[in-house]
Amino acid sequence: MTTDSLTSNVVLPTKRDEAWRYAPHRTLAELSFGPPNGSIASVPAGLLDDIPVLDGLCVVVVNGIVDVGRSRLHSLVRGVTVSSRAAALATDRAASTPGDETPSPTDAYVVLNAAYGVDGALIEIEPGVVLDEPIHVVDISIPDHLGGASCARTHIHLGAGSSATVVETRISAGSGFGGSNVCTLVSLDDGAELEHVVLQDLPSSQVHLGRVEVDQATRSTFRARSFNTGGAYGRLEYHVVLRGPEASADLAGLYLGSGEQVLDQQVTVVHAAENCVSRQAFRGVLDDESTGVFNGGIDVRPGADGTDASQSNDNLLLSVRAEANTQPRLEILADEVSCTHGATVGRLDDDALYYLRSRGVRAEGARRLLIDGFANQIVEQVGAGPVRAWISHRLGYRDDG
Amino acid sequence: MLHVENLTVSIGDKRILRGLDLDVRPGEVHAIMGPNGSGKSTFAHALAGREGYDVGGTATLDGADLLEMEPEERAAAGVFMGFQYPVEIPGVNNMYFLRTALNSVRQARGEDEVSAREFLEVAKRAMQLVDMNPDFLQRSVNAGFSGGEKKRNEILQMAVMEPRLAVLDETDSGLDIDALKVVASGVHALRGPERSMVVITHYQRLLEYITPDFVHVLVDGRIVESGDSSLALHLDDHGYAQFLAVAPGDEQRSLAATRS
Repeated sequence: MTTDSLTSNVVLPTKRDEAWRYAPHRTLAELSFGPPNGSIASVPAGLLDDIPVLDGLCVVVVNGIVDVGRSRLHSLVRGVTVSSRAAALATDRAASTPGDETPSPTDAYVVLNAAYGVDGALIEIEPGVVLDEPIHVVDISIPDHLGGASCARTHIHLGAGSSATVVETRISAGSGFGGSNVCTLVSLDDGAELEHVVLQDLPSSQVHLGRVEVDQATRSTFRARSFNTGGAYGRLEYHVVLRGPEASADLAGLYLGSGEQVLDQQVTVVHAAENCVSRQAFRGVLDDESTGVFNGGIDVRPGADGTDASQSNDNLLLSVRAEANTQPRLEILADEVSCTHGATVGRLDDDALYYLRSRGVRAEGARRLLIDGFANQIVEQVGAGPVRAWISHRLGYRDDG
Repeated sequence: MLHVENLTVSIGDKRILRGLDLDVRPGEVHAIMGPNGSGKSTFAHALAGREGYDVGGTATLDGADLLEMEPEERAAAGVFMGFQYPVEIPGVNNMYFLRTALNSVRQARGEDEVSAREFLEVAKRAMQLVDMNPDFLQRSVNAGFSGGEKKRNEILQMAVMEPRLAVLDETDSGLDIDALKVVASGVHALRGPERSMVVITHYQRLLEYITPDFVHVLVDGRIVESGDSSLALHLDDHGYAQFLAVAPGDEQRSLAATRS
């Protein structure tokens, strides 16, 4: 099969697929996929101006192709490689990159991404290297007026005992229909520690499909912080495999919906080894007629004794027509396992509003304060200070430090 | 200053206050005592502007009609209520909340907002008053605070807001004797010729530390007895039973109050 005929041959998910139940299938069917057209599209002035706070290492990907001119790829720290995957493949440097073996595709969009996502950021941290400055991957999809969705793949590999922070921002320009389909493959060797932040902020006319595959070795730590706020449909999917003993995965996320947005978080953590710890903590703030989805799985495989897994999903509905859907999936096939999960859906607390107003805060300000407080509890979990401040600013919150 | 006349409050079809009269002049401290269910907290919330109350009668502060105002407008007019159950607000930084509150009322009064630095000075002075660790400013509003810490936080807010009229609703409840002393000394320090206080309490204990100018007994939604601070001692010795007999209202309510 040639890649050009792929789009018409893949079988798109339907409402009957649990993981795609709330997706706008008609809108998704209108997206078109294909190989990147090779030339760097022009980026509208001002689009990147909003992102300058993170001014260290940076990979700018435009419509699936790394724009070397806009990126800052040279690290002063030894043992840190930040480059274009396509360029690295051309020089054979990435041939041995773990994580490049594609995980078994689970749906059409992963297949499409694997076929058309020929480029993207490649991040390699050598063993023992501790990188303090965050690495920023900015994915920009420029609509082509044909409903095209760009495909890119980010590869992140941390050697044993190394640590890094990677921020992935997904944005677009204009109000045309289109979007992006980005897969991130993370591989953490023994004792490696990664903080991985995703900010999805495409225009509300577009679609974002994001998938993060994580493979963790012994005593490695993965911290995911996701901020899912853009797109008519914004989807962030995590599939984390705790392959080595005593590994830890800590995933927290915030989704902020308004209008008719559907914001979908699909999370699966697989405990495949003994004594691993995982936590999922996702919060939604849903206004107007928006829909939030949290589908969180904890999959404890046979032999993964001593597993400690928890999951929580809390939703704040700001409108009577907003909707939150939450679904825990627990499959436990091991002994001595601690698995907890809980979900809440609520509205702003009248007592708290009254309390704030009795202190002179006007009604609208009191609402804002409570909403910010609710959301802030996720924002403040971003470990890297400059990243936290920038996310706060970008989402319109204050950063209390 | 505060003038309350024939104040009635119903919640749904339940009548709580049945014509309450009270006048508080500048600088005075009035204690309102009464059995559980007599309407003490309802009176405080009626002054602060809680929603869901069906309110009749008059309540004015310096001539301004409180009952027509939103809660935030009452705060700007100088009303401060210390809550019996301060609300926990996770994720909202105490310091940020306090500065927002102070600047909101300043803005409403046409005054300049205080800068972050100026506010820090205000907050520091207030913290000393209630013997609070500065860490409290960086924590979420009341979240995970002990009962005593919450009440101290209320007094801290009062010190920052510098109200014309402070209504303290059972600020003493749930406090051990040390916390009670701290709260009482904070209240005492904030007494002044231009500030009036209405202190609502079930027990006489707090009044050992805050000597009120007047004591009122609230039973079944009405003030049935007023006097000076010696009345509180009398109540402590004899309880509320003597007033329950003379109070209007159905028998069941009186019985419930006696038992509690």
